Amino acid sequence: MALSGDTAVRSGMNEDVALAAAGDASAFERVYRTHVAKIHSLTRRMLGSHEADEVTQDIFVRTWQKLGQFRGDSAFSTWLHRLAVNVVIERRRSFAIQRERMTDDPAALDFVTVAPARADLTVDFEQAIGQLPPGAREIFVLHDVEGYKHREIAVMLHITSGTSKRQLHRARMLMRKHLDGL
Amino acid sequence: MKMHTEWTDKLSDYLDDELEAAERAAVEAHLRECADCSAVLDDLRRVIARAQAAATAARPPQTDLWTGVAGRINCIRQPRRVSLTVAQLAAAAVLVAAVSAGMAWQFAPSIAGRPDSESSAANTDRTVASSVAAPSGSSADLQVRPDGVSLIGVSLADDQYDAAVADLEQALKQGRGKLDKATIAVVEQNLQTIDQAIAQAREALASDPANSYLSGHLVETRRRKLDLLRRATALTDMD
Repeated sequence: MALSGDTAVRSGMNEDVALAAAGDASAFERVYRTHVAKIHSLTRRMLGSHEADEVTQDIFVRTWQKLGQFRGDSAFSTWLHRLAVNVVIERRRSFAIQRERMTDDPAALDFVTVAPARADLTVDFEQAIGQLPPGAREIFVLHDVEGYKHREIAVMLHITSGTSKRQLHRARMLMRKHLDGL
Repeated sequence: MKMHTEWTDKLSDYLDDELEAAERAAVEAHLRECADCSAVLDDLRRVIARAQAAATAARPPQTDLWTGVAGRINCIRQPRRVSLTVAQLAAAAVLVAAVSAGMAWQFAPSIAGRPDSESSAANTDRTVASSVAAPSGSSADLQVRPDGVSLIGVSLADDQYDAAVADLEQALKQGRGKLDKATIAVVEQNLQTIDQAIAQAREALASDPANSYLSGHLVETRRRKLDLLRRATALTDMD
C-alpha cells in the first residue's frame, strides 16, 4: 500500500511521534504536516472534496487520541493510514449510504463524456475518480491507488471478495471511458 | 469496437492474477484472437498505471486545516475517547445539560458587566457559530484579540453543520419505523436535552463570547448531537 512503503519519513519522525504521544502538540503539528497531503488525498479520493477537509481533521484528532496505542510494530505511516481508512469507512457508514453505494447504477456508466483538459492529468484522473459511483470508487481507491488486496477490502467493508472484484472491474471500465477522452 | 462482455468481465481478474490456470489460459487464447478485447486489456492496464501514479502524487488540502485540528485537540484533555452506546449517551447528555445549566448560571451574571462584552452582543451568534463549526470548517483561522484572547473563526462551516444535522434528522425521521418505541424515546429525549444544553451554552457565550472554555463546551455539545444523530441513524440502517 502506498504509505507502508513510504520512505519519506523524515529524520526525527519517530521522535516526533513519541513526543506527540506524550502530549506535545508542537510535535504533533510536525507529524500532521508530514502526513496531511497523503491523508487528505485519501479522503478526497474516497469521499470527495466536499467532505475531505472535515474528515481529514477528524482523522488527525482521532490520531491524537489514539497515539498512545501506537506501539511501533509497524511504520507509523502504515498505522496512520489504516486509522484513516477506518475513519473514512466509518463516516460512510454513519451517513447510511453503505447500502446504496453497493447497488448497481446503470446510469453511472454514462459518466465522464467530455474529454478533460490535458494540462494536469493527475487532477483530471482524480476528477474522474470523483465521478465513480461511491461503491466502485471506494474499492478502486483502496485496491488500485492504495494497494489493498481484495480480502483486506472485504474485511474492511464487510463485503465478499467477489463483490470487491466486481466493483473494481466496474470502476476500471468506467475509468477506461475517461482514458478514451484523452 | 465489439464488446465481448463474457471475456472483458474477466480481464480485471486476469490482470490481478485472480484466475484459475484453466480460465487464465482460456482468456489468453481469446485475447490472441480478439483485437477488441486486447484493446480493452491495454486500456485497463493504463487505468491501473494511472492509479498507481496517483498514489505517489499526494496533494495537500487547499486550506491549512491545522488550526481546526489544534483547536479540537486543545479541547481534548483525555487521551482516549470512549465509544458510547445510546444508553450511555443518555447519561452523558443529562450531564451535559446539567453542566451547561450550571455554567450558564455561573458565568452569565458575572460577566454581563464586562466592557468588552457589551459591544459584541450583535456579533455573538456569528462568533459562537463560527467557533462551534471549527471542527468541520475548512477555512479556520486564528484571530487574536488585542487583549490576547484567541478566537477560532470559521466561515460558512456552520451551514455545513446545520445541513448535516438536517440530513441526519430527515434520515432518522424516515427510518424511525425500524426502531422500537423505547429506543425512539431515548433518542428523542437525548436530542431534546442536548438542544437545551446547546441553547444554554449559547446564552452563556452571548455574555462572554471570548470564553474559550464555553466555546469548547459548545463545540463538544454540538458534536455530541451530531454523533447521537449519526448513531441513531445507523441503527435505522441495520437489518
